[in-house]
Amino acid sequence: MSRPIETAAFLKTVRLFQEFAEPELLAFASRLREESLRKGQVLFREGQAGQEMFVVRRGTVVISKAVTGRVEQVLGREEAGSFFGEMSLFDQEPRSATVQAETDVTLLALDRGNLNLLIEVDPRAAAAFFRALVQVFIARLRASGNLVAEATRWGLQATGLDMESR
Amino acid sequence: MTEGAPRWAKLELLIRADDESFEVREVPSSAAWLAMRPQRPEAGAWELAELSSRVDRQRRFVLKNTRTERFLMLSEPERFLWDRMDGQTSLQDLATAYVLQYGAFDFDLIPGLIGKLQRAELLTFQPSSALRRALARNRGWRAVHALERGLTTLEHVTVSSRRVQPLFERLYRAGGFLLFTRTALLACLSLGVVGAVAGVGLWRDLDDVARGLGARPLAAIVVVKLLFLATLALHQVVHGLACVHYGRRVREFGFTFLHGFLPTFYVDVTDIFMASRRARIVTALSGTLVHLVLGALWFVVAATAPPGFVQAFAAASGMIQWQAFVIALYPCCFIEMDGYHILVDVLGAPTLKHDAIAYVGSLLRGAPAAPWGRPARLWVAYVAISTVSVALFFAFNVWMITRAI
Repeated sequence: MSRPIETAAFLKTVRLFQEFAEPELLAFASRLREESLRKGQVLFREGQAGQEMFVVRRGTVVISKAVTGRVEQVLGREEAGSFFGEMSLFDQEPRSATVQAETDVTLLALDRGNLNLLIEVDPRAAAAFFRALVQVFIARLRASGNLVAEATRWGLQATGLDMESR
Repeated sequence: MTEGAPRWAKLELLIRADDESFEVREVPSSAAWLAMRPQRPEAGAWELAELSSRVDRQRRFVLKNTRTERFLMLSEPERFLWDRMDGQTSLQDLATAYVLQYGAFDFDLIPGLIGKLQRAELLTFQPSSALRRALARNRGWRAVHALERGLTTLEHVTVSSRRVQPLFERLYRAGGFLLFTRTALLACLSLGVVGAVAGVGLWRDLDDVARGLGARPLAAIVVVKLLFLATLALHQVVHGLACVHYGRRVREFGFTFLHGFLPTFYVDVTDIFMASRRARIVTALSGTLVHLVLGALWFVVAATAPPGFVQAFAAASGMIQWQAFVIALYPCCFIEMDGYHILVDVLGAPTLKHDAIAYVGSLLRGAPAAPWGRPARLWVAYVAISTVSVALFFAFNVWMITRAI
């Protein structure tokens, strides 16, 4: 388990928390729950309830969505400094994808209570947090569009469908 | 928009295992495309008529979709491909058959024809493996489900590299080129004669030799088989060296479980189809000669060793090597090995096995798929000789094992 001062130093490098002042970040870091996963271990599955988002402190996780049987499509990877799981934190709907550790992983979990506390205690930092979050959402939305286009192109090429001259 | 040929799309898939572990694989669309088996509609849903041109003397064909009343004009090469779109032949096999038939590859023809047929609603696609389709249909049975899972697990055990060309070139320069000289051929044939003489000598005392395996003959035979597996790698390496000898590229070398249960080494020398027929035949033949040489050496060891385990082990190893030599080179046994590829190349009948099985099947159902003629005679002969050969092979092995026990 890392000390809050080390966790705070790490969080300072994460885009979401770059606007935080040192004392707030230290207080915030002490409230985060650290969780470790071994390589291959599943953190949560698609459809499960969840109320936390996670920041990757060390290692890489793979995010996937069920396609058929035991086959899932890889939606992306999150490495140290990036985050995931925020959708269920905000809309309280079941998890939209499965997350598993591609390597040994250390995560920092942020729940709704801590997020609310952050908004009350340091609104300026909270605003910066949400601004960074929106920017990441936009980047992910663009990546998601590219993934859909690539999957469609895959299907057309794999079946030899010639749509241009139909 | 990008200029030129579009890049193949890739999907990253995560495949979960029973023990909660997983594997991430990148699947290019090209792999799926090559493994697909185009299937034309059943007879009756289409008609084909030949048109001869008095101008260019070319044969052309009109293909009609009887349901939609749509017509397509096919060239002779397109007709050749259409005949093979039976749901059993993959696009990769179609391309190979095309090269064998016409001696060159037309990169636009197959995708163009497929697009044309799809637009005319004259084509569907089948999944790649008949075995896996059959297992999937019956996966309600616990044993079948377990077998399917086992095969899936083994199919994932593939160790291969696509960057082997430099290695094969180094091997070739370091002495591999010597294998493709007249001296090497003479040495090989001489060893074959010496091995045959030694083998005949051992055959006379077969019972005494077999007794040398001692109290656990089956265990000894298993060890012999495992040792033989290692020599299959050498067989594939020599195929690769032959490919380099003719200035072509070795695209891949590796180990896998064929159909999920047959451990085997493999080498991708399909680039040899771009070379001459002689190059293709030498490449196919060279790998099998490894078994002739190794078998002969084992027989010489057995003939010179005193009676006992070493002699019996060497004799059994020699026997299995020569069996492999015969099986690999013998074209009529329903297995598409080196000898089969040589035969179809010489006959110019690239889909002989498939056509033969389909024709004999139609004969047995009382509705021959083609009139009796030279091709039909060839198909019936292939199936008859193959059936007898396989039966004799199994009978011989059962007889050998019962004698050893």
